[in-house]
Amino acid sequence: MKSPQPPRWATRLLETFCAPHLLEEVQGDLEERFHRRVAQFGERVARRRYTAEVLGFLRRRLNGPFALKRPRNEVSPHFFSNPAMLRNYVKIALRTLAHNKAYAFINVVGLSIGLAAAMLILLFTKDEVSYDRFHANHPNLYRITSKRIAPGGTLEGLEGNTGFFQGPKFTAGIPDIQAFVRFQDYLYDTKRGTEVKSQQVFLTDTSFFSVFSFPLLSGDPKTALRQPKSVVISEGLAQTHFGTTDALGKVIFFKQSYGEGVNGPFEPYAVTGVAKKCPQNSSIKFEALMPLVVKQEEIGNDFGWFNIFLNTFVVLKPTANVGRVEASMNRIYRADAKESMKMMAEKYGMKHREDYMLQPFTAMHLSEDLSANNGLVDGSNPLFSYLLSGIALFILGIACINFVNLTVARSLKRAKEIGIRKVVGGGRTQLTWQFLGESFLLCFAAFAFALLLVEAVLPTFNQLANKALSLSYLFDVKLVVSYVALFLATGLLAGFYPALVLSKYDPVQTLYGRFQLSGKNHLQKTLVVLQFAIASFLIIGTLTIYSQFDYLTHKSLGYDDTHVISIEKPGLNPSLDVLKAELLKAPGIVAVAPKNGGQWGTAAKINGETQVEFTYETIDPTYLPLFKIPIAKGRNFSPDFPTDSTQSVLVNETFVKTAGWKAPLGQVVNFWYNEEKYRVVGVVKDYHYEALNKKIGPQLFTMRPKNGYGKAFIKIKPNTETASLRHLEATFKKLFPFSPYAYKFLDVENRRQYEAEAKWKQIMLFGAVLTIFISCIGLFGLATLSAERRTKEVGIRKVLGASASSIVQLLSSDFLKLVGISFVFAFPAAYFATDQWLQNYPYRIGISPWTFVVAAAAAVLIAFLTVSLQSLRAALTNPVKSLRSE
Amino acid sequence: MRRTYLGEFEEVVLLTVAVLGEGAYGVAITDELERQTGRAVSLSAVHAALHRLEEKGMLKSRLGEATAERGGRRKRLFNVTVLGSRALSDIRAVRERLWDAISPQTLPAFGL
Repeated sequence: MKSPQPPRWATRLLETFCAPHLLEEVQGDLEERFHRRVAQFGERVARRRYTAEVLGFLRRRLNGPFALKRPRNEVSPHFFSNPAMLRNYVKIALRTLAHNKAYAFINVVGLSIGLAAAMLILLFTKDEVSYDRFHANHPNLYRITSKRIAPGGTLEGLEGNTGFFQGPKFTAGIPDIQAFVRFQDYLYDTKRGTEVKSQQVFLTDTSFFSVFSFPLLSGDPKTALRQPKSVVISEGLAQTHFGTTDALGKVIFFKQSYGEGVNGPFEPYAVTGVAKKCPQNSSIKFEALMPLVVKQEEIGNDFGWFNIFLNTFVVLKPTANVGRVEASMNRIYRADAKESMKMMAEKYGMKHREDYMLQPFTAMHLSEDLSANNGLVDGSNPLFSYLLSGIALFILGIACINFVNLTVARSLKRAKEIGIRKVVGGGRTQLTWQFLGESFLLCFAAFAFALLLVEAVLPTFNQLANKALSLSYLFDVKLVVSYVALFLATGLLAGFYPALVLSKYDPVQTLYGRFQLSGKNHLQKTLVVLQFAIASFLIIGTLTIYSQFDYLTHKSLGYDDTHVISIEKPGLNPSLDVLKAELLKAPGIVAVAPKNGGQWGTAAKINGETQVEFTYETIDPTYLPLFKIPIAKGRNFSPDFPTDSTQSVLVNETFVKTAGWKAPLGQVVNFWYNEEKYRVVGVVKDYHYEALNKKIGPQLFTMRPKNGYGKAFIKIKPNTETASLRHLEATFKKLFPFSPYAYKFLDVENRRQYEAEAKWKQIMLFGAVLTIFISCIGLFGLATLSAERRTKEVGIRKVLGASASSIVQLLSSDFLKLVGISFVFAFPAAYFATDQWLQNYPYRIGISPWTFVVAAAAAVLIAFLTVSLQSLRAALTNPVKSLRSE
Repeated sequence: MRRTYLGEFEEVVLLTVAVLGEGAYGVAITDELERQTGRAVSLSAVHAALHRLEEKGMLKSRLGEATAERGGRRKRLFNVTVLGSRALSDIRAVRERLWDAISPQTLPAFGL
């Protein structure tokens, strides 16, 4: 018969509330009485009385909380209050690290890579987000933008730029707008002695320095831009021109690079201010500022509202309501431009509506639709930031997971220590704190190492990201706080799970050697699969980018760009024949052909009233032969046909297709706004006149005399670069003493088009290598664990005659299976992603199965190498050692 | 006279500890009290009084042997200290002086 027991819940209640040093005697007394009562009165009465007595003890609060009293000098179990325990913890932690140097090192390195990636991204994001916030007028600064609405009401497009009118007219009519400033990108040539160079200059209003916060080293910001023919230069430019920043009052000679002043004399501009270097996180970066002068005829220009070529910024009153200001802007626009709009609708069929809006200044940098352009710099795609943040978070996550895996794996060796600690009285919380503390120690070491890593990698990162970040950024309070938060979060994340798992070990099992790792490691296995899936994905991505890049840079452009030098000379027309004659005197120079400067595009009518847009090229008969561009039908321009320049045009094959012409020769192209009609005399084979990431569009060639040439291409014989360049330079300077001379090799320039792709290539490569490295760490941890777990099994197999290689095979096959599973996830995702990415390129490679095969092989090989180290070690251990403890 | 503040219950418990001599622990004291005073005494009250007395320095305690009846738990045995015995005799002296000072025939007689 079971002996009667006092009610358990009452006992538990007592245990909870009674002071521990009194608990034993109280419980003993209660139980003694209970048993006596059972003998006297029976069990039920005894239980009732027991409960009553327990409650009595709890009720004793009336005389002071008796049972709750604790002796005054009891030692708190928390280790913070006890230096002896702390010393022990530190000693054990250091010893553990010293005994497992390899693992500690790998752990720290893995975690520090993750931390370094996260830190770099924090720096990057901080910089991106902080753009343009340094201006004093900051929350009230806006840019005037507009959207085009088609007659049906659909949005046709967004425009970030304006013309001359918007700034002054809106400011005059709306009291909430305090000031406006226009900012126009322009090119001037400067002359120092005989040297002529191009200089980017910004034309702006006198309000520039009161709207924006760009401090001046010398000069008065209020009057600096008041006089025409004055210029404010940056301290860098002052150094270049005068060797000192004390340039106030000095004179620089400028002339316009294009436009009406292109051949004019150099005129002296007085330096009215020297400005400090623009900060790194500014969309406005200037070397030279000049006052914007709006000519009289511009003010009355009917098209004034519709010419778009500069940026206008306004400062609103702090109390202004943006919506109401926008409404007022549109009211003024419709009133002032009523006549012009009617004229545009009649003459040019311009039926769409313009709605003006205000874009906050700080939103420009990260905006995709209304980006910082036309003189503003560093317009950034937020996609880039999101992607980088994603990658960094991901790497950090994986690093933490690996840390967890490795720590748990190594903990087997400490099972006995944990058992003993528990036996002598350590509580679970105490143990948890101990292991958490060890993790924090490692994390701290990783953090310090990560800082060093960041410092080392920063220059490369800056180059990749087009920034000038430096560690001095770190002294920003918010960033320091975020780094500390990062450290704490990582330490907790990485240390929490192992601490929990380790403190759970049962002392009986560990000390009697019955310790076995429970469970099938589902968590760890899933993590390894995940890591390898991502690693394979990145390998495939990298391989794809590499081949696409290769393709882009090696694909035939449809014309011969080798050994071709290009020079710029606006207003070339009058001097073209002289230039050709002079240049061809050199033996190395084979041909010279002109073209319009920049990229022109326009529209014309064909087939009656159909309007087609096309790229508009102004050339001469030597152009197409110089580049070896074949003519598919008809003929090239030729001096034998003197009417070519006024009556003939050439079109390319895409033009013919777009126009739907079956017989292109003889078709009419109507430039109706100039009232000129031309006939097609030849069809040019399509060639890539733009970078390969743009589709070939319709192209039309003309020799119209009124169009200006702005460039010249010079074809030279191979290996005659030096001589030809020397001759070219001499001729140019003789003919155009007032124009800056700069030459480019066309094939080099064409390579430069793919800078963005080159960057992506590098980033993917880094990402892939890092992920693979970290995945290997993870796999290494798992392999260690498994090898440790199976030492006895391996020992027995060896004793029974298994060879080392069969054991390696046995141990590795598990992991190779995991890697195989990861492919199942990685390949479809990779296929989808690469397909999407390649859609951006009209000319692209196909996705070949070889990429996947190579990626799979690479992943398997890497996994095998990682695992085989441990498997080999397990296979080579002396079975005596592993079986001895049986 | 030393100022000793001892409640009535505490005084009785202290006396009982003295009566029991070596075997003075919670249950024994409670049983003895019940026998002597004839009223039900709660174990918790006795424990509270014992520990208050120990804090005041009137008792000293030690942990004794465990028995199976107590579920293997030890019992706490109490002994009266010098301070405790002084307190007791002081109280006794006061009482006796007061009793002696009562003139005969003052207290109403009650049946034998």
